[in-house]
Amino acid sequence: MSARELVLVDGDWLEERLGDPDLVICEVDERPLIYRVGHIPGARCLDWRVDLQDSLTRDLPDSESLARLWRRIGLTERSTVVFYGDQSNWHACFGYWLFRIYGVSDMRILDGGRQLWVREQRPLTREAVSENGRAALLPQASGERLRARWPDVQAAGERGVQLLDVRTTAEYRGDVLAEAGYADEGAQRAGHIPGALSVPWDVAVGEDGRLLAEDQLRARLTARGVDLTAPAITYCRIGERSAHTWFVLHELLGVEARNYDGSWVEWGSMIGMPIATGEDPRPSG
Amino acid sequence: MSSPARAQPPEDPQHALASIRSELDRIRAAVGRIERGLAELESGAASSARARPRQVRYLQVLVDVYDLGGRHGVSLEQWARIGSARGYDRRGLGGFFTGVRAPLRQADGRVALTVSGERLVDEYLAELP
Repeated sequence: MSARELVLVDGDWLEERLGDPDLVICEVDERPLIYRVGHIPGARCLDWRVDLQDSLTRDLPDSESLARLWRRIGLTERSTVVFYGDQSNWHACFGYWLFRIYGVSDMRILDGGRQLWVREQRPLTREAVSENGRAALLPQASGERLRARWPDVQAAGERGVQLLDVRTTAEYRGDVLAEAGYADEGAQRAGHIPGALSVPWDVAVGEDGRLLAEDQLRARLTARGVDLTAPAITYCRIGERSAHTWFVLHELLGVEARNYDGSWVEWGSMIGMPIATGEDPRPSG
Repeated sequence: MSSPARAQPPEDPQHALASIRSELDRIRAAVGRIERGLAELESGAASSARARPRQVRYLQVLVDVYDLGGRHGVSLEQWARIGSARGYDRRGLGGFFTGVRAPLRQADGRVALTVSGERLVDEYLAELP
């Protein structure tokens, strides 16, 4: 079985397994209310603002919070977790990355996410999913190596680690603080981290939101200047698009990659931190 | 030789009181006029804010675009299918792109939500049971 088959599934695979008691399906949307329009039968809604972060500390949830969440969704040692969501799986990939950090090994992303499932007219329901009462797996924060903090980013250049800015090119250049519609998610300054390459997250997806085949991924990323043999840190605005690119690099292509979830809202607002603007990855001035 | 300054006659208290009362009346009348004008403006603003609620199918079209289009919007072909499924003809679909607060925009052969459109989607979703 290829690395891709171990972590990425299509609609047929999932539809055949609906009702499997060992399958835990998690829908993670940018707009969690879209779950109410209809969701995959058995899927549980994880609200990324509530379930996947600690909003008081602006940090990942601690193991106690994760344990509560896992009890709620019935995640056990036998479980296979499938993540999917809107916006080409941005937040689904964040959920996947977070669960990986806390030690879950058997996980899949539904290729194309919610968008493709709906387009293929696969079953949707509005029925609530009850707790299954199973003894939950205990979270163990064993995947810190998958996460980058700002000192890691600061030291990236001297350690030979590539920085990949996966936001839009307009955000990278510093033309805008954030994309339209995300006015409350801007940093104090516009631009990018010095030395970072511009590799928008969507170079990895086709028009239908599905991830490209491995050879196409390699070609597109290489064309953007990414060295697929060297370690990398991905970042975006708040860490969800960069989780998508992290998934592509780490899980599909086997690159030693970490996600900097502090991302631009942290770096772009820190006092004393240099930034770069324009097309040039080097510092401004 | 300058003439000595003439002393001011002592102020008549009754006259001063009448003068103040008159001034107070003018101020009260002006406040009344301002309050009436303000009430008219507020009522006008409220009635435009209570504009005809958008039809559910109009909002469902936007939700369909969000749900099927992901980050990059839907193709023109998909857009036509969405409109048709929700009972819109070509002319009706054109209405989604007009006005400063148009909910949809078309670019590079794809139809995507504008910020106004995303706001309408959020409002619709918030009302769902």
